[in-house]
Amino acid sequence: MATRIVAAPGKIRSKNNSLVWLSAASLVVFFIIWYGLVESGIISKALLSPPAEVLTTFISKFSNRAPDGATLGAHFKTSLTLALTGYITAVVVGAPLGLLMGWYKKVDSIVKPIFEVIRPIPPIAWIPLAILWFGIGLPAKAFIIWLSAFVPSVINSYAGIKLTEPVLINMSRTFGATNWETFLRVGVPSALAMVFTGLRLSLSSAWMTLVAAELLAATEGLGYMIQMGRTLARPDVIIVGMLTIGLTGAAMAFILERFEGKLAPWRRS
Amino acid sequence: MTNNGRKIKIQVQNLTKRFGDLLVLNNISFNVYEGEFLCIVGPTGCGKTTFLNVLTKLHPATEGDIYIDGEPANPQKHNISFVFQEPSTMPWLTVEQNIRYGLEVKKVPEEEIKKRLNQVMELVGLKDFRNYYPRQLSASMDQRVVIARAFAINPDLLLMDEPYSQLDIKLRYYLEDEVIRIWREMKRTVIFVTHNIEEAVYLAERILILTPKPATIKKEIKVDLPRPRNFADPEFVNIRNQVTEMIKWW
Ligand SMILES: Nc1ncnc2c1ncn2[C@@H]1O[C@H](COP(=O)(O)OP(=O)(O)OP(=O)(O)O)[C@@H](O)[C@H]1O
Ligand SMILES: [Mg+2]
Repeated sequence: MATRIVAAPGKIRSKNNSLVWLSAASLVVFFIIWYGLVESGIISKALLSPPAEVLTTFISKFSNRAPDGATLGAHFKTSLTLALTGYITAVVVGAPLGLLMGWYKKVDSIVKPIFEVIRPIPPIAWIPLAILWFGIGLPAKAFIIWLSAFVPSVINSYAGIKLTEPVLINMSRTFGATNWETFLRVGVPSALAMVFTGLRLSLSSAWMTLVAAELLAATEGLGYMIQMGRTLARPDVIIVGMLTIGLTGAAMAFILERFEGKLAPWRRS
Repeated sequence: MTNNGRKIKIQVQNLTKRFGDLLVLNNISFNVYEGEFLCIVGPTGCGKTTFLNVLTKLHPATEGDIYIDGEPANPQKHNISFVFQEPSTMPWLTVEQNIRYGLEVKKVPEEEIKKRLNQVMELVGLKDFRNYYPRQLSASMDQRVVIARAFAINPDLLLMDEPYSQLDIKLRYYLEDEVIRIWREMKRTVIFVTHNIEEAVYLAERILILTPKPATIKKEIKVDLPRPRNFADPEFVNIRNQVTEMIKWW
């Protein structure tokens, strides 16, 4: 599901102007090819809408309920609320659990066997069971999203705190700190970078799973909107939905990165 | 028992340490006196770090015991500072926060913390860098943060494990003088581990020479030279040769 590759923090900001131009040029070329393919008839307009039409639909969907029954804003709000609810409840439990598992052998022994079995199950494989348990309403989807965000947040926090420099733990102990104090003041901050990696992976995992869940069971939401686009043979609506999903995901990742910069000032250059 | 009228600070009694079948420390006994600067020299891998780790209870002793002020050593009760062989500043804390760490763990009142911070930062010349992160410091400044942190808690016992082995010679000379200056100013008991003979003779009031693993004490040498010491002083050279003679197996 979720990609495990994460850009190193800070690398995204490029001061180099020519690199910015390169990015802009790449986008322009992308749109020209898209435009060309559709306008030249290589790809039928019934299958792929031209960029201008997508833009028109995008703007009109702000106020227009047709053809899928709700405005873009309403779909967006439904999806975002669902994703954030599942995400936040998942990481609030997952990150501390991972940290505790990585620090205390007892917690590790208790949780690990169960976790190791749950971890390889893709979140969407839970959909049938979730529908059986909760019906097709919000709880089923929230449950699946919770699971999808939970797993990466546990794994990364766990791995992160395991990497704490032994010399720093020893330093803390020779000063007379208790194990709990050392956990809080040495283990947790040293794991913070990996915890954040987990938070980012959890977020993208939650967002992707949300769309999958909505494709299957929803009456509103971005995934539902895409699905309706297919039913109504409206590629423009599908693409608007997809773009909204993509842009939102990118925006959330960006916000999280800024937040990390605030919380971890020692890593700023 | 006293040494120049000084009290016994640390008593090491029949200390033995094994890792599984590997005997590292073999029945070591010695005393360290209050306010003493003791150097321990020994070849690489002989068990110097292991000795300090046992002393601070990071590793349990297999046999024997270590007493500080007559009580079994206990980091939660005794004021111990350990300058490790590897860099040990916390990258997420500023210079000042790093130095505060030991004081905060010891629950020293805030007023007192401020006073001590100013004192040690002045001592190691880090006042202007208090808000820097370790990443922004040179290796020698980083090492000075560690030393300041170690001195800030007014340790009853300061342990230094080859603290300067990674540094170039100029910095080493500078920091050797610095540690002597701080030691004399604050009158602490110091155990300084090194495998550099010259460094040991330059710093120590007394040198313990260890045998290769399993380590025992091969010889104890008093260094009664005035400070600042001079590497070229015949007396100095004499002692240095004497120590070198003891450890021909290097
Ligand atoms: N935790 C451990 N488990 C098993 N063996 C260990 C452990 N720590 C140290 N040893 C072994 O004990 C011996 C002494 O190691 P130690 O690190 O104390 O040497 P040292 O005198 O400090 O060496 P150096 O001068 O290189 O720092 C070595 O043979 C080492 O392999
Ligand atoms: Mg060592």
